[in-house]
Amino acid sequence: MKKLTTTILIAAMALSISACGNSSEKTSAGAAQSSASKSTETAESSGSKDSKNFTIGFSNCSQDTPFFANMTPIIEDYAKEKGLEVISLNADNDTSKQNKDIQDLISRGIDVLLINPVNEDGATAGIEACNKKNIPVITVDKNVTKGNTAWVGRDNKVMGKLVGEKLIELLGGEDAVGTILEIQGTAGSTTMMNRRDGFHEALEKAPGLKIVQSSYCDYDRSKAIPATQDMLQANKDVVAIFGHNDDMALGAAQVCQEQKLENVLVCGVDGLMESVLKIQDGKYHCTASNDPVLLGQTAVDAAIKVMAGETLDEFIDAGTVVIDKSNVDEYANKDLDFATMVK
Amino acid sequence: MKKLHISELLKRYNLILLLLIFIIISTILSPNFLTLDNFLNLLQQASIPGIVAIAMTLVVLLGGIDLSVGSVLAFSGMVSSMVALQFSDGVMGILLSCLAALAVGSIMGFITGTLISRYKLPDFIASLAMMEIARGAALLTTSGNPVFGLGDKFHQIGGGFLFDKLAYTAILWIILTVIFSLILKYTVFGRSLFAIGGNREAAMLSGIKTKRNYTLTFVLSGLLSGFAGILTASWMSTGQPTAGNGYELDAIAASVIGGASLSGGKGSILGTFGGVFLLQVITNIFNLIGLPSYYQRIAKGIIIILALLLNNFVASDKGKE
Repeated sequence: MKKLTTTILIAAMALSISACGNSSEKTSAGAAQSSASKSTETAESSGSKDSKNFTIGFSNCSQDTPFFANMTPIIEDYAKEKGLEVISLNADNDTSKQNKDIQDLISRGIDVLLINPVNEDGATAGIEACNKKNIPVITVDKNVTKGNTAWVGRDNKVMGKLVGEKLIELLGGEDAVGTILEIQGTAGSTTMMNRRDGFHEALEKAPGLKIVQSSYCDYDRSKAIPATQDMLQANKDVVAIFGHNDDMALGAAQVCQEQKLENVLVCGVDGLMESVLKIQDGKYHCTASNDPVLLGQTAVDAAIKVMAGETLDEFIDAGTVVIDKSNVDEYANKDLDFATMVK
Repeated sequence: MKKLHISELLKRYNLILLLLIFIIISTILSPNFLTLDNFLNLLQQASIPGIVAIAMTLVVLLGGIDLSVGSVLAFSGMVSSMVALQFSDGVMGILLSCLAALAVGSIMGFITGTLISRYKLPDFIASLAMMEIARGAALLTTSGNPVFGLGDKFHQIGGGFLFDKLAYTAILWIILTVIFSLILKYTVFGRSLFAIGGNREAAMLSGIKTKRNYTLTFVLSGLLSGFAGILTASWMSTGQPTAGNGYELDAIAASVIGGASLSGGKGSILGTFGGVFLLQVITNIFNLIGLPSYYQRIAKGIIIILALLLNNFVASDKGKE
């Protein structure tokens, strides 16, 4: 009996490892529903195609990062302001759940679907179902391969590039020399690859700056800290550290502070408020905003336009801004989670 | 009794052998590996997973498993950082935040342990359920946002260094390793874990309070995970709801590399210490030479297999302490 249990256990462990164990990332149903339930009391399945008074369905990929977690209430609040109904569901990083969520949203009579897909292809079935019912699909943040009317997002490549250009400027121009540590996000994620490519493209202009890449740290600060420590052991002429997101770069900034490396410039992407406030203190140096408020509002505006019968551009850029000490005071606000361009 | 000692020694010797081989390889691969700085680095990096692994080893000794350690770490960390934030870095506030986190961890451990020992739920299922509940709760406290703005005093607990060199967390890890090694060796409770893990029926018949000790072990596991949660939040100066993700599997791996058997009754806290250290050396050397982390995962898997094969070479009967 014990042998059997052990065998099953080991099999389960092996499975969860090979499935890249995101199991502990799932929120419990209670957590997932809490924000959804607020706005779904009176979702009528009338499906009235009224351009002023319609129902938006929002399928979010997950709520376990600050960025995604903030997106749901932002969309709900802004749509309420505009007098619209929103039903939002959270897919917990699970593509099959996302498809079921979309089916549920359709049967609850939504008129337009906003979706932040788990990945590019995963939600195909759900999107096809929307297409059959003539429900317009607008992707938010991440895009899908086909079937959507428009994509409201940002070009992560541009963000990486802008940070790279700003960093060269902060290091004193294109003849700067030294090593830059690059703390990498999740292996194979499009966001990671785009931010990396944009950053590298900018750095090509400064041949004296050598980039050393870390192992993949999954956008997780607790993995970024040891990686930074190890890389600082191995590289002695580090002038800057670039993190694929602010959360990891903040970990790197902390290591620099501990090791009294005040001259190392630390930068990231996202405009996480913690890093913005650190720019004010001079312990962090630049970031490119990835403002969820503007993104969510742009998406709701796009939905309103579609329902009013307007044609949308395929890509609607929600915009970004580079924040460093020259303009940080415009964005620093302790009450927010991210720097916002919405005034 | 004597026989066990010899095989225990051999097992430890095994692990030391593996560690030595790795240290030699690493020294050849990178000139930065065998330095005092890097060694202190390693100790710091391994300390928090190390404390979680102590919790896991206690449960594994019983023949049980606790999948909730990483999530309990996250939820306790969130609780401690939320409380610390209320008190703007005062000593009282820090004490309160630690107490709150330890209470939360112990209560979660108590619930899991009771479900298993009183209500006969399988360990795997009960702790899996607690893993989900704790992770959900951690995300729920701030709807997925990290808690930041924790003061410098709070950061000192998990991020401070003795003489600017040796991390406090590393000292705590070593102290806890010693304490729990002594508990297992010299207390009735500690010795009963081997007995329960070796043969539950026999342990019950010989008058050991199996149910109570089983629950108590899970309380300890929750308490240690909660403690690791405080240290994590303090070390990163943020409460992160996603902290400790995947720690449960690393902790199981470290216990097993250290000579523990998943069917119970076998294992040692010192062996686990070595197991955690070995796993950290792998990560460290890959970072030092800059190899992609895909190889790291493959190497990790191979090391686990190697360690187990070595342990089987000196297979002994189950501990009959």
